[in-house]
Amino acid sequence: MSVVNDSQAVGTKDGTGEFEPTILAFACHWCTYSGADLAGLNRMNYPANVRLLRVPCSGRVNPQYVISAFNKGCDGVLVCGCHPGDCHYVSGNYFAKRRLMAFKRLLEYSGMEPGRFQVRWISGSEAGKFRDTVIQVCADIKNLGPLQDREADALASISVADLQKGAEAAGASASSESAVAQAATANGNAEKAGE
Amino acid sequence: MSDIQTTLRTRAAELLSSGEVVEVIGWTAGRFDNQTTPAFITKAEDAESLVFNEYCVNTTSKFSLMERGLGKVAVCVRGCDSRGINRMITDNQLKREEVHLIGIPCTGMKDRKTGEELLKCRECSYRNPVVYDELIGESVTEPELNRFDAVEKLEAMDQAERAAFFDSVYERCIRCYACREVCPVCTCKSCFVDQLAAGWQGKRSNVAENKFYGLTRVFHVGDRCVECGECQRACPMDLPLMLLNRKMIKDLDLLFEAGEAGLDAEGTNPLGTYDVNDVEEFM
Amino acid sequence: MLLAKDRLPQLLDHLAAQARVYVPARVGEDTRFALYSSGLEPDFEMVNTSLPPKDLLFPQAQSMYRYGFDDNGTPFIDPVHDSDNTVLFGVRPCDVQSIACMDDVFLTMGYEDEFYAPKREKLLIVALVCNNVAESCFCDSMGLDPNSAPYADIQLRQGSEGFEIVAQTEKGQAALSDWKSFLSDGTATRDNVSCTLKVDMTGIKDKLDEMYEHPIWDRISKKCLTCGTCTYVCPTCHCFDISQENRMKLGERFRSWDSCMFSNYTEMAGHHNPRAGKQPRVRQRFLHKLCFFEDRYGKTLCVGCGRCVEKCPVALDITVLIDQIGAADVAEGAEVLEGAAHGN
Repeated sequence: MSVVNDSQAVGTKDGTGEFEPTILAFACHWCTYSGADLAGLNRMNYPANVRLLRVPCSGRVNPQYVISAFNKGCDGVLVCGCHPGDCHYVSGNYFAKRRLMAFKRLLEYSGMEPGRFQVRWISGSEAGKFRDTVIQVCADIKNLGPLQDREADALASISVADLQKGAEAAGASASSESAVAQAATANGNAEKAGE
Repeated sequence: MSDIQTTLRTRAAELLSSGEVVEVIGWTAGRFDNQTTPAFITKAEDAESLVFNEYCVNTTSKFSLMERGLGKVAVCVRGCDSRGINRMITDNQLKREEVHLIGIPCTGMKDRKTGEELLKCRECSYRNPVVYDELIGESVTEPELNRFDAVEKLEAMDQAERAAFFDSVYERCIRCYACREVCPVCTCKSCFVDQLAAGWQGKRSNVAENKFYGLTRVFHVGDRCVECGECQRACPMDLPLMLLNRKMIKDLDLLFEAGEAGLDAEGTNPLGTYDVNDVEEFM
Repeated sequence: MLLAKDRLPQLLDHLAAQARVYVPARVGEDTRFALYSSGLEPDFEMVNTSLPPKDLLFPQAQSMYRYGFDDNGTPFIDPVHDSDNTVLFGVRPCDVQSIACMDDVFLTMGYEDEFYAPKREKLLIVALVCNNVAESCFCDSMGLDPNSAPYADIQLRQGSEGFEIVAQTEKGQAALSDWKSFLSDGTATRDNVSCTLKVDMTGIKDKLDEMYEHPIWDRISKKCLTCGTCTYVCPTCHCFDISQENRMKLGERFRSWDSCMFSNYTEMAGHHNPRAGKQPRVRQRFLHKLCFFEDRYGKTLCVGCGRCVEKCPVALDITVLIDQIGAADVAEGAEVLEGAAHGN
């Protein structure tokens, strides 16, 4: 079972073919992650462009992670947490809300396109909302196109092709990208999303 | 100004000879005309070298932290310096009783090269010290100004223009970290930049890494920034750093009524608190 | 030989066709050695650029090698050696001397740096002796002369007639023969300039040799913020750190500027830091400039360009420091030390 379609996941940034963005989604363990799980159980389809990264709470998402994700090759970042009032840790998402509201504005002020960084509250039962959000975010990022600013990753300029080659050589073994891959598996994300 | 300087010297000498303080932090003349440099006076007879004129560009607040542990230290404070002191007390970096604050109302400092008022002073709305133990000189009228003027202009630009603007800013950044070192609210014992094992900050110098540093710093200090503007003045590349800090300050005030930092020792804490009725936009 | 002023753009265009040419220029609000392209106006009147030209030879981040696994899963290590034919045009005597200092570090004493050497090999230094001096210039106190740049390949002297050109090395000779069509016979008349800022370096080195434990360092370092401004704007500061970036099957190792002012410059495993405070760091920087480098290479590591004097946020001025050292009583520290040794 091919967990992630590598060519699609890496994205075609050389101008050939349709642009496939890489989107990192931080998902709160207690709600969004379960919601994504439920989406998988229900065989819901959503784009494989999104990589889920499980965090204990949306309040755990340091804004630096977001900038880092952009610098290291993500075209979009999504942060998902429990609905306000539902936080497993009582108040984590309230802090996250303030923080990320201010941060989103700062990011956009400093030149990031609105839409590249998004935040959503998705509960454990909202499998449909999770799917719809991912579809919508993915469409947003596709519209925006690839993020140009890749300088921090010195390897980016040489790596896209090399990475694809490397990934092919590694075959279907997903061990090198276990975090992303496991997240995708758990979500039933393997359903030939690229085809 | 010269009256202030005379009184300052007398008071500094008195404070030192009475043993009330062990050191006075102020300014002294530099090598060039119209240049001053931070001064640390420990002997009453050296108080004569203290200077106060319209070229005292350095803020003193961070030095009070560096000198902590010597004993009680007298610090010359204007509006900007005093807000820094307040904020350091809020942040538990400094105790009020550790400093003796010599308040000096300020009419704005000038760049020694151009003779023009410094940008940080043109955008200042607290020229009188907000906290002091004694005040030298007459209070001055606070100017009426919109300190978010430049921020609003930038906000009005389109995204691509802003991206180009900030890329050009971060292209020039050399990551000397002067902004961090002078900042009265940059008081972390270990900055994320220096946590090499954690690998937050790459060592490469380019727009993305510089922006990573810059935005993170703004986010770390934005909710506590006392708007002394010292980061901008200290920057060897003259980067407009307050444009970012003020954006944070403006947004936090708009969204969460954060107010202004450093006006009292209680302080504000917009990102360390929350209200269940906060405006919602992530639904 | 003489280069008429109006022929300068033609010469620069000619050079730019075969090499990367850097000229001092105003770029936006900044002054720097900018890559010349047709139409860029070099500014020879301004005093020193805000950043020195050292990054042409010693970039702020220099790739060293890339490593990873190739298609067959075989590990590889590929060294990165990038160097282009480069002309540094219109550089002032202090910055020329700074290249002499860096050459000492990276090319002599039995060590040749494989990243510096090829860049240096392909660099042609065309110096322009100073037309004017800034208030912070003090090169003539550091044994230099603003009116000559002996270490340059080619030296220009600007007068009303144009630029008088002299080749000073073989590399310079070869270049001049290529420039011939732009040159005419003649000389330029210019008045010598001299620095207004003077410091007395007599005996400073000998005094510093005895002043490692001197209490003056406490006084001097008090206002230092330990930012890296002085080291990054310095044309001769050449310390670097080596780090790497990894991404999946690829990695790159590179070296980047470091500063002895930073706390982690000397930090060791287990967080022991022999220079934890600012006093030892300030002392290290100035002793390296004025003392240690001379011990090893026989010249002072300060070329008197005045950039740190201009840029230091707290005006911790090396010229003031030299004056203070000159005025200091070397024995002051000895008493303290002796006292400490006797347990007083």
